[in-house]
Amino acid sequence: MHPASEHVQLETRRYFFGKAACGIGTAALASIVNPKLFADAPLFADTPGTTVPPELATFGELPILHHAPKAKRVIWLFMADAPSQLDLYDHKPNLVDFYDKDLPDSVRQGQRITTMTSGQTRLPVAPSVFKFAQHGQSGAWISELLPNIASIVDDLAIVKTVNTEAINHDPAITYIQTGSQIPGRPSAGAWLSYGIGCPNRDLPAYVVLHSRLPAGAQPQALFSRLWGSGFIPTKHQGVALRSAGDPVLYLSNPPGVSNSRRRTMLDGLGELNQKKLAEVGDPEINARIAQYEMAYRMQSSVPELTNISNETKETLEMYGPQVTEPGTYAYNCLLARRLAERDVRFIQVFLRGWDHHGNLPPSIKALTGQADQPTAALIKDLKQRDMLKDTLVVWGGEFGRTVYSQGALTKETYGRDHHPRNFTMWMAGGGVKGGVVHGETDDFSYNVIDKPVHIHDLNATILHCLGLDHERLTYRYQGRDFRLTDIHGKVVKEILA
Amino acid sequence: MKCASIAFEVSLAALFVLAGPALTRADNRRVDYNREIRPILSNFCYKCHGPDENERKAGLRLDTLEGALVMLETGFAAIVPGKSGESELFNRILSQDPAEQMPPPSLGKSLTPAQIDLIKRWIDEGATIRGHWSFTAPTRPAPPPAQPTGQVVNPIDQFVLARLEQEGLKPSPEADRVALVRRLTFDLTGLPPTLTEVDAFLADGDANAYEKLVDRLLTSTRYGEHQARHWLDAARYGDTHGLHLDNERSLWLYREWVINAFNRNLSFDQFTIEQLAGDLLPEATTEQKIATGFNRCNVTTGEGGSIDEEVLVRYAVDRVETTSTVWMGLTLGCSVCHDHKYDPFTQKEFYQFYAFFNSFAENAMDGNIAGPPPIMKVPTPQQTTQLQSLDQQLAVARQKIVDELARVEYVEPPATEGISADEPREFVWIDDELPPGAKPQGDTPWEFVGKADRPVFHGEKASTRTALGLSQHFFTDANPVLRVGEGDRLFAYVYLDPAKPPQEIMLQWNDGSWEHRAVWGEDVIPWGAANSPSRFPMGALPEAGGWVRLEVECAKVGLNPGATLNGWAFTQHGGTVYWDKAGIVTRTPQAGATFESQLAWEAYEKVQSKSAVPGPVLEAVKLEADKRGEGQQKLLRDYFLEKVCGKTRPVFDPLHQQLAELDKQRAAADGAIPITMVAAEMPARRDAFLLVRGQYDKKGDKVLPGVPAALPALPQGAAADRLGLARWLVDPSHPLTARVTVNRLWQQFFGTGIVKTAEDFGSQGQWPTHPELLDWLATEFQQSGWNVKHILKLIVMSGTYRQSSKVTPDQVQRDPENLLLARGPRFRLDAEVIRDSALLMGGLLVEQLGGRSVKPYQPDGLWEAVGFVGSNTSTFKRDDGDALYRRSLYTFWKRTSPPPSLLTFDAPSRETCTVRRARTNTPLQALVLLNDPQYVEAARKLAERVLTPAGQTAGERAAFAFRVAVSRLPTSDELAVLLRVYHSELAEFQSDRDAARKLLSYGDAKRNEALDTADLAAWTMVANLILNLDETVTKE
Repeated sequence: MHPASEHVQLETRRYFFGKAACGIGTAALASIVNPKLFADAPLFADTPGTTVPPELATFGELPILHHAPKAKRVIWLFMADAPSQLDLYDHKPNLVDFYDKDLPDSVRQGQRITTMTSGQTRLPVAPSVFKFAQHGQSGAWISELLPNIASIVDDLAIVKTVNTEAINHDPAITYIQTGSQIPGRPSAGAWLSYGIGCPNRDLPAYVVLHSRLPAGAQPQALFSRLWGSGFIPTKHQGVALRSAGDPVLYLSNPPGVSNSRRRTMLDGLGELNQKKLAEVGDPEINARIAQYEMAYRMQSSVPELTNISNETKETLEMYGPQVTEPGTYAYNCLLARRLAERDVRFIQVFLRGWDHHGNLPPSIKALTGQADQPTAALIKDLKQRDMLKDTLVVWGGEFGRTVYSQGALTKETYGRDHHPRNFTMWMAGGGVKGGVVHGETDDFSYNVIDKPVHIHDLNATILHCLGLDHERLTYRYQGRDFRLTDIHGKVVKEILA
Repeated sequence: MKCASIAFEVSLAALFVLAGPALTRADNRRVDYNREIRPILSNFCYKCHGPDENERKAGLRLDTLEGALVMLETGFAAIVPGKSGESELFNRILSQDPAEQMPPPSLGKSLTPAQIDLIKRWIDEGATIRGHWSFTAPTRPAPPPAQPTGQVVNPIDQFVLARLEQEGLKPSPEADRVALVRRLTFDLTGLPPTLTEVDAFLADGDANAYEKLVDRLLTSTRYGEHQARHWLDAARYGDTHGLHLDNERSLWLYREWVINAFNRNLSFDQFTIEQLAGDLLPEATTEQKIATGFNRCNVTTGEGGSIDEEVLVRYAVDRVETTSTVWMGLTLGCSVCHDHKYDPFTQKEFYQFYAFFNSFAENAMDGNIAGPPPIMKVPTPQQTTQLQSLDQQLAVARQKIVDELARVEYVEPPATEGISADEPREFVWIDDELPPGAKPQGDTPWEFVGKADRPVFHGEKASTRTALGLSQHFFTDANPVLRVGEGDRLFAYVYLDPAKPPQEIMLQWNDGSWEHRAVWGEDVIPWGAANSPSRFPMGALPEAGGWVRLEVECAKVGLNPGATLNGWAFTQHGGTVYWDKAGIVTRTPQAGATFESQLAWEAYEKVQSKSAVPGPVLEAVKLEADKRGEGQQKLLRDYFLEKVCGKTRPVFDPLHQQLAELDKQRAAADGAIPITMVAAEMPARRDAFLLVRGQYDKKGDKVLPGVPAALPALPQGAAADRLGLARWLVDPSHPLTARVTVNRLWQQFFGTGIVKTAEDFGSQGQWPTHPELLDWLATEFQQSGWNVKHILKLIVMSGTYRQSSKVTPDQVQRDPENLLLARGPRFRLDAEVIRDSALLMGGLLVEQLGGRSVKPYQPDGLWEAVGFVGSNTSTFKRDDGDALYRRSLYTFWKRTSPPPSLLTFDAPSRETCTVRRARTNTPLQALVLLNDPQYVEAARKLAERVLTPAGQTAGERAAFAFRVAVSRLPTSDELAVLLRVYHSELAEFQSDRDAARKLLSYGDAKRNEALDTADLAAWTMVANLILNLDETVTKE
């Protein structure tokens, strides 16, 4: 029977970060508490005695990876609200000649546009006010807004032709995160937690970091469904590490309760639960006992994770002045590296505020001013630690922005509406080539003219780098074997290393 | 096909599928198609050889007998009954050639040897193919004869014990009485029994004590709250719209309706009809309309830029998916884009079903308001009375005005007395002083200078300013305001110092906004949009060294008739400027004055291009006096006297004030009336179309409302609308509704349904563990008049339910999930039950049925982290007092950031329909129970309960706390552990009383100051331990 269909049963016999625990005994329990005991050669109930080659081992429901992985983990820098590809990566020098001219019908081809601009009498072309230059050996064009990212361009696979069908934030961001525009499906990170889990039993497989915004920014909303688990068990949902208060909800003991008092109480609790186990024999109690021990360990492993006092001055400087302020994007980039070091499988850093419908130039400049340096620093930092080779970094938003101006257009300023037909993302590290620019858009950055990459293709490619066939990471719900890429998705082989 | 006829076989072979390899199969039985073969074909073959015509390969269809026997192009038939060796299907399965092999390697799944063997035997035994079991109405099976083992209380036990007998498994003995009262109380009310309740049950020696307990619990109002909580998952109830801004919505009256419906044991057929179509019932009651909120629970959006048509399609699809899942356990949503891959539903049938839900009288955009229409106001009786009283007072006040109007004797004053309608006059607003009320402001204060040594144009003083760059003085809040009429001009006198002339000067007016500017000189003042009323160019600077009158037409700076000005600004860029005498040239009475002459007023209104005077009055004004009818003359007179005439102000102003005050009160009272979203149909049905690949803008054939052909037709006389659909669902001929519903109820008690996939009764769903029992319960449900309490009572009265949940290693080995029910249920409680129980144990629970949602404790920053600035749920403000301690089903459910402590325990986000929650086990849950202030506070209050009776030993206290949580007394071993923890914590807190005080001030509830801090803190830790016990959070 397919492993996924076995899994449809309710999760009464399984527990967080762990494997099936049916009839678990003391020895097995010990190995959960100390996962290294069997981390290198897990055994599986459905193939007794079989040893999985270490490079194909998983820590989730899949018995074995589909192929040898290039990446062990993913850091996705999610630029929520959709940054303008036209002002950052997709250089269109000829647009200067089209300043304030109407977008030609031959380009628009009757494509639908949002009702925010569909009522405008004109769709005047707004060339970017920012200068572009070629960088690195690859000679990729990068806007002056991203001087630091420009310096690492030879590590990036820039994909200019990512596209989606969704035209509004809520459906679009739900789409790229879950493979469906409609709420209810598991997010990419939840799929990975479920499928391959995380070798570190003291931290969740999927961690989400939210970045604080400059004062006055008006970001779009996010939704817990974006890191939710949909119809797969809730233990696979992303855990949002918070910048204020407990990093993990309810992590700290109540005021007045020291670690030693907590330990006393937990020892008593464990003892009573053991007695209960002896009396009623329900193996579920074993899982409960392990659950409390893991919680206790998280109480030290998480603060250790978020304590950056042992980072060197050089490292901190690389990420920029905001790196020491919890919650900033710079801090989150550093934390992402620390999570990656601890083998967390899927790390998403959300940075909102790219929804520049009006007055784009100063607003995007303010945001890139915060985002450029830490982003590049993360890549450099991973590289200097030799982690970039097995860490896949992804950068991008949920759609792109229009070449025509929303609202008034002047030489200095303009706004840009939502544009799903093409936008730019990049990937770096584990499994992808550096110094590549993939795909081409037309002179207006309005249509893909070469090598389209649908968001399903993007997700398929990410899974591929992790050793997974996106068509075979499935979960049966309501009789159907669901997957992240729905019934679509092609791996973008050209950018693979 | 009759289920009963196959059920005998099911009981054995299902083991093979469900209970794992430890259970062996009796090999001499015939293979059962529906149970054993159809799932294999469905899973491996239907995708290409199933109901979906468009995907069908090689013309082969395996879900019907005709299809399976057809001669294929290859010259073979897929199945030759009785001859597996001649059956192409079987040969292809065995083939090693990747081009031949079935299922094709690209599918990524392959059959096990056991499955291949089953297929072989099935073909050899004649390859019978029948319809899927759940699409045929249940017939009532006779319960099997009673077995010697186990307690038979009702037919449920006969079915369960017969099955156990076949498996060679023995049932467990009845649970002890403490376990029974605890299990039953949890299951029927969602709360544990109190000690008094436990003691009462233990003391009741009656033979029917248990039944009396069941009956008592079924009449508790807690019962309805608990059942409603399950239902609200299915209904996807939430307190926010769920998409984009995720603003608050008002639908809690629907929740209250659900609670009440369960408490009054509304029959399930009526429960169904009222929720799906209460609005279509003849003379629908308020309650029946509230019930239709079910249809409005779907997530909605108000996101700017959305395309209405696309959004409406999504709403309708959601309603189809929810309705089909909840009542039929069907995945009709699979047919949005194509014919169903596994079940006999075409895409066209999906859209026929969709057509039932395609004509709601609602807007695509929810407008981000709490009550997107259609809504209903549901006042309380007090509110109705209050409104009636206000309406009466309003009527009286209005009548007074009418009476006064009749009493006034108006005589037109001589022409000279009024203000001439023809001659505009100059009205000076600013001279030596500012107008009344004006608040002077500026980047430096106003400076008035006298004529002794400075230029002054009029009166004694002029204002002045010397500036290096941009500088201004201005005022706001003048009252009375300056009133603008047709053709009016604003003026001011200015004197520019010839020694220090400015670069630019500007006059600016405030009518609520400052976007009215007139500029003279160079273009250096940076405000306003060029050549617009916000920056109207008046030309060059006036000549310096003398007083110049500046005049600006009001219309040029966007000040239209009716505008009222409260502020004026004098701005300059550089130089020294004097300003004097400023005002307006107008026909409009100023400084609070008004017309005393009706004729003057009429003449004035006649020339205004814009007026606040109501339409009919204005119409009469514009007519020549002799063309006005009698009614119009009276209308004019009355309006003039009531609203305009200066002499009658003392009479009417107080009356108007009173009226305004009453209006305000009425608006406030009206606004306080709860609203609830309801369903209503559009006057004319919106056409429905098959949507190609599910795309909203790819319309195929038009379709009419209809039900799938694989299921019964709509009942005789039922209209093809939602009401007809609801009646169809609860028609006795419907094969699914009763089965699906009793299965969900069963699941509440045993943790797993008889059909484990409660959300899928189709081909891909799990086979029922006890098909005959399912059908017996389904028919019992229908025959009892869809009586929910009757079914629940049957379940909890059964010997099966009452078994002990202790489990032997052998049982774990043979049936880890307890699917065969050789023991009682034991599983972790649901999120809400855990929280409510802790509140009850701490004596904190505030029981109040229904009402608006509440916001108990939640860590800071969660809503802020995801919220849109403009959303009204972007900041979380927790409630105080009682609201912290209400049952969890009243907790405010923000769907994009649901209550974190509940979510951690597997509560769904309520964005979509959920009929089966996962039950996971994570360290995050431990952290909630250990550290969430809600639970620490509950432990603290439980500790106070422990310490309140004086003179007890520590042992007695520990035993009491333990018993509050788990209903039984601790063993001496357990007690020893509790006491050890107590003494250890006590010693530490005694040496650190500050720590004790900190712990005791966690949470809002006041602590009992009379108790010793160290002692109370130590007991708090013991109580915290007890609230975290596996046994405390487990039903067993």
